[in-house]
Amino acid sequence: MTIVTSDKPEPSKPRSALPWVTTVSRLILAAVLIVAGGGKIGTPVLSVEAVKAYQLLPESLATAVGYGLPILEIVIGVLLVVGLLTRVAGIVSALLMLAFVIGIASAWARGLRIDCGCFGGGGQLAAGEEPSYLIDILRDFGLFALGVIVAWFPPGRLALDSVLGLTPSQEPDEYDDTEGDDEEPRQEEDH
Amino acid sequence: MGKAARDQSARDRIKAQREAERKKERARRVATMTTAAVVAVAAIGAGWWFAAQSSRPEQTTTALAPITRAADGTVVMAKPGVGKPVVDVYEDFQCPACKALEETSAATLKNLAAEGKAKVVFHTVTIFPQEMNKGVTRGNSVRGAAAARCVPAGPSWMTYHDRLFKEQPPETAEGFALDDLVAWGEDAGITDPNFAACVRNQQHAAAHVSDSDKKLEAAKIEGTPTLKIDGTAVDNNVAFAPAQLRQAILDAAK
Repeated sequence: MTIVTSDKPEPSKPRSALPWVTTVSRLILAAVLIVAGGGKIGTPVLSVEAVKAYQLLPESLATAVGYGLPILEIVIGVLLVVGLLTRVAGIVSALLMLAFVIGIASAWARGLRIDCGCFGGGGQLAAGEEPSYLIDILRDFGLFALGVIVAWFPPGRLALDSVLGLTPSQEPDEYDDTEGDDEEPRQEEDH
Repeated sequence: MGKAARDQSARDRIKAQREAERKKERARRVATMTTAAVVAVAAIGAGWWFAAQSSRPEQTTTALAPITRAADGTVVMAKPGVGKPVVDVYEDFQCPACKALEETSAATLKNLAAEGKAKVVFHTVTIFPQEMNKGVTRGNSVRGAAAARCVPAGPSWMTYHDRLFKEQPPETAEGFALDDLVAWGEDAGITDPNFAACVRNQQHAAAHVSDSDKKLEAAKIEGTPTLKIDGTAVDNNVAFAPAQLRQAILDAAK
């Protein structure tokens, strides 16, 4: 009976919701990144200012990060939307979120009174405004978790990676059956 | 050759063929991913470069336009006879974003005034409320502003003004100490014998606070810095991009 071994077209039957979970994670993360990057990209000077407000990086590095962060967020966001290089984009966004969590927590611990600068605005609180560190941290931690999901699992539905056959999971590596027929084991239905 | 051997060789052939296909497939995948990665990195690099370029300040080339002061403490920088467009700058010596604007766009304003293409009006305000940081931030702001008001109108005012932004203390720490404020005045070449006493007594502090409140109210200022061209607030995207700011002011002159 070879039926048992050639039964791989639907290995993920019990987890059939997963592709959608990763797709939704990707899109949420992407939306936040694009909005955040878009809010800052028009005013690089204020973006630099927001990074400096954390008083964590030396001046020149803070400037470089301030100029680069908005475009990085947008590019990663776009990659997540189209599902290209999904795993890398997931890892980068998870690392970004982790860095934000650390930055905000450290600002909080040091008693700095700053706006997180997350969505633009120069990192300065308007007069009389209170910082909302806890909310910012919880939000970014949630986004970090989404980043991990995106990096961990296959890109899911509606992903260019799947269309282009870039997902490592699609590599027919571990099939040992030597049946000469059905040469195309790449029939994952993620198109 | 037995059937088993034939099967074996067929199996080997298929295996080799599959192996080759797999290699080709892998090469194609690597190529696609590399291309995508290169494009993404290039986009990030281009964006970074563009951000750095658009934020690059002008160099001040010529002498400053004449600087005068009105009774309400407003400082005007314009060539004689130049009345428009009017560029209003609302700034607080203690506000980090104002410092950023100063570093980015002040040279553009100085140059345009010197070229006779704009009348630049500086409104020094105090935006920080007493409740914030136990009044430390507001204290710094008022002390700096009151001291700047002791500086006679003229190029030394601009020198002093620039120095205050350069020496801006953190919002949470006490700064702009009276001794420093006096010393910076001497550095700026202020020879007025009353200057030191004016700073130490904070002679203009009360007038500054009252003028500041009036201006914030009258001009409906919600945050600093605010830049206005002929009364219309300039978007930060423009105010913090020297080339665009120059263009906006030149356009207003038409």
